[in-house]
Amino acid sequence: MSDPFQGKKPEQPGLTPGCQRCEEQAKVGVYICRCGGNISDVVDVERVAEAARQMPGVATAKVHTFMCSDPGQQLITEDILAVGVNRVVVASCTPFLHESTFRGAVARGGMNSYLYEHANLREQCSWAHRHDPAGATEKAIRLVSAAVGKARCDAALDQIRLPNHRIALVAGGGIAGMKAAGDLAACGLRVVLVESTGALGGQLLGRGAVYPTETDAEHIVAGLRKEAEGNPHIEVLLNSRVRSVSGFVGNFQVTIEGRFGPGGQSATTSLTAGALIIATGFHPYVPAEGEFLYATHPGVVTMPDFLQMLQSAPGGTRMLEVQGRPIRSMAFLHCVGSRQIDGVHTPGPDGRLNTYCSRVCCTTALQQEIAVRRRFPETAVFDLYQDIRTYARGTEDYYRTASEAGVVFFRYRGEEPPVVEAGEGKGTRRTPLAVRVKDTLTWGEELRLPVDLVVLATGMVPNAIPELVDSIKLPTGEDRFLQEVHPKLRPVEVSVNGVLLAGTAQAPMDIRETLSAAGAAAVKAAAMFAHEDVELNPYVAEVDLSLCEGSGQCVTQCEYDGALQMVDVIVGDRSVRRAQVNPGLCVGCGACVAVCPQRAIQVNGWRLDQYEAMIDGIVAEVAVGAH
Amino acid sequence: MKKQERSQAPGVASQWPAATLTMRCLMENDPYIPKILVLATEHCAYPGADAVGKAHLEYGANTYILRVPSPALFPEDFYLHAWSRGVDGILIAACGSDCPYRGAYERLARRIDDLMVRMKEGGLETERIRLTAICTVCIKAFLKEVSQLNEALAALGPVRRALAAQLEAESRARLRSAALAGAA
Ligand SMILES: Cc1cc2nc3c(=O)[nH]c(=O)nc-3n(C[C@H](O)[C@H](O)[C@H](O)COP(=O)(O)OP(=O)(O)OC[C@H]3O[C@@H](n4cnc5c(N)ncnc54)[C@H](O)[C@@H]3O)c2cc1C
Repeated sequence: MSDPFQGKKPEQPGLTPGCQRCEEQAKVGVYICRCGGNISDVVDVERVAEAARQMPGVATAKVHTFMCSDPGQQLITEDILAVGVNRVVVASCTPFLHESTFRGAVARGGMNSYLYEHANLREQCSWAHRHDPAGATEKAIRLVSAAVGKARCDAALDQIRLPNHRIALVAGGGIAGMKAAGDLAACGLRVVLVESTGALGGQLLGRGAVYPTETDAEHIVAGLRKEAEGNPHIEVLLNSRVRSVSGFVGNFQVTIEGRFGPGGQSATTSLTAGALIIATGFHPYVPAEGEFLYATHPGVVTMPDFLQMLQSAPGGTRMLEVQGRPIRSMAFLHCVGSRQIDGVHTPGPDGRLNTYCSRVCCTTALQQEIAVRRRFPETAVFDLYQDIRTYARGTEDYYRTASEAGVVFFRYRGEEPPVVEAGEGKGTRRTPLAVRVKDTLTWGEELRLPVDLVVLATGMVPNAIPELVDSIKLPTGEDRFLQEVHPKLRPVEVSVNGVLLAGTAQAPMDIRETLSAAGAAAVKAAAMFAHEDVELNPYVAEVDLSLCEGSGQCVTQCEYDGALQMVDVIVGDRSVRRAQVNPGLCVGCGACVAVCPQRAIQVNGWRLDQYEAMIDGIVAEVAVGAH
Repeated sequence: MKKQERSQAPGVASQWPAATLTMRCLMENDPYIPKILVLATEHCAYPGADAVGKAHLEYGANTYILRVPSPALFPEDFYLHAWSRGVDGILIAACGSDCPYRGAYERLARRIDDLMVRMKEGGLETERIRLTAICTVCIKAFLKEVSQLNEALAALGPVRRALAAQLEAESRARLRSAALAGAA
């Protein structure tokens, strides 16, 4: 039998077989982070550095306590100049945290930032092998060895530049959408504002006076609406929904369906937008039938229902009347559809519980209790809560005022929510309803409150937007709200580049929070539009014309229209068919790579020869032994 | 026999100055520790593996995780190549139905099916490869997959590298003739 390894042996020692890039003289700088002990308490980092120094192509290997610190990053920039390092490997935490940090350092040192590789010694090594320091150290060496192998095959890459379409599409015409649209228009940018109902305003429409300023909600809505509707930069599409989105930052293809055809007929239209702002908001939680007797007893209503009742109640009456019955006593019940507990509450139709706090219900309940006590002083008002969360500026006053206004508070434990039941008694003394509560303010006394009306302070549920979530893969959290990249550092961005979040589509927020989020999203979008072009990462497929034989196999694998096709090219003096990638449309999945017998098509940054170099690095006989 | 195959490892030893090496795993009386390669998708399984570490849960240090956009990019011969180099087992930790790339997971699954047919025909143990979906918070699934692959490999012993290399060469030849047929 012939030697199966024939032809696979490297021609020169220290080169990865089959890798053209390694022909170049790579001088790899390896930087190992202690992470303040997070790594070095388990991994013998000095030994890793020592082993790295013996790896082929490594010019220097250093250890630092915090590579991400300024002095840590300086090691890199200095070595590029002083040692002539031309490839960099940092072995530290997960690449998702600091890969871009170190690419930045590499660029500051004057190198192409893609001549960089990252080894994950924390999440996937020291933290995962705490009780096996020897094994962790060996693994760390092999991971560094793999990264060095890959780095030696790295080629300089340039970001892909594509024209930026400076139009923002805002989905949702509540206060968040209107605010974002107005702010963008103020920067002179074009906006298309898509609202699914027949009017702008969202959940604030008809809400009446809103806390903490007690201004009429209509006032806030009207101000924003005027800015949006009368603005030459903003096109408002009512009764419309985004049907689908494809593309990428700077170049989203959006299809909108709506009744904007002649005579209000249904029609579709498409446009190219550079940025998307998702402001699709929330709807109030609708209790299940029978939940606290909702929908089974007419005296049990939700907060939005109650606001409507109060607003339409005729002036000059001594008592609020519901279906001809005066409301002598009433109870507000907090946390309905919020802060639900597994085993206590019944999951919704999708099998999920709303474990989150909806943030606005506490203050709204107190606000309405005060309103009732002021307008109808003879009505007894009970407030049943688990915690009063009047967290925002100016809202704690509502709690104090409600107490002063004679609202009576009862505190229940989340595990033992109050029970709403039909009332007892005779004649005029009979109330239609009663609420049983185990009150922790009176050391767990079981109380029964006879009432004429129960108001459920219902929470917030995000509006379902499957057409957006599915078509551009928007991340949602466990709670079904859209999820930002980072709750503190990048609060209005999502992992899909060019998509921003505004308002309650992201999380329960009050008006102030909604408007600041919307303003932030607008500024982020405007900043993106400051550039003529968008820059995309270069991890897309590329054809090596010196290897391509034009079999066309790769094209059969591509799922993205126009991303990969066969074209005529001139080679020497004849015209031949060859594969060609459109880097703006290629997503870099690599499905094409697997079928090319020449390995002529590869994904930049993730080439097969680089993977093979990494495997060689892992299985290499590295210096792991004891001193 | 198996040991001999390993110490013959060509192409690898020559890269490293022998005098400086200590070979823990290759020493005569060391117990066999398989090498596991995990091909983990950047959108799902790689952050999933990070989540295991963040939760301070432990698994064997013989597990080497490589980040990939989608494992659909690997040809059949790539896996065979890994075995020929001395990787004992491969866990493809993909995104499954959460795959951000259209059709990529289906293609991957088909490729692995085909690979397993080849392995069976060629006499290479199909237990050396596992395809699974691991999400960004699938901590338990990750640990289970790694431990099951470890168990399987402990029972199998080291990979037959020469056989894998032979199958790799055959696989590349097949890819080539398929392309020729396609072009014709
Ligand atoms: C009962 C109640 C009382 C409140 N009182 C106060 C208060 O006193 N003070 C305060 O600060 N906050 C209060 N809030 C909170 C306030 O309502 C919100 O902060 C605010 O409405 C959030 O605005 P938004 O634009 O994010 O969402 P929304 O108001 O929900 O607007 C979203 C808009 O998007 C539209 N939309 C949804 N899906 C699509 C789609 N696919 N395509 C196109 N359009 C779509 C909707 O029709 C809607 O117009 C209260 C909330 C409730 C429930």
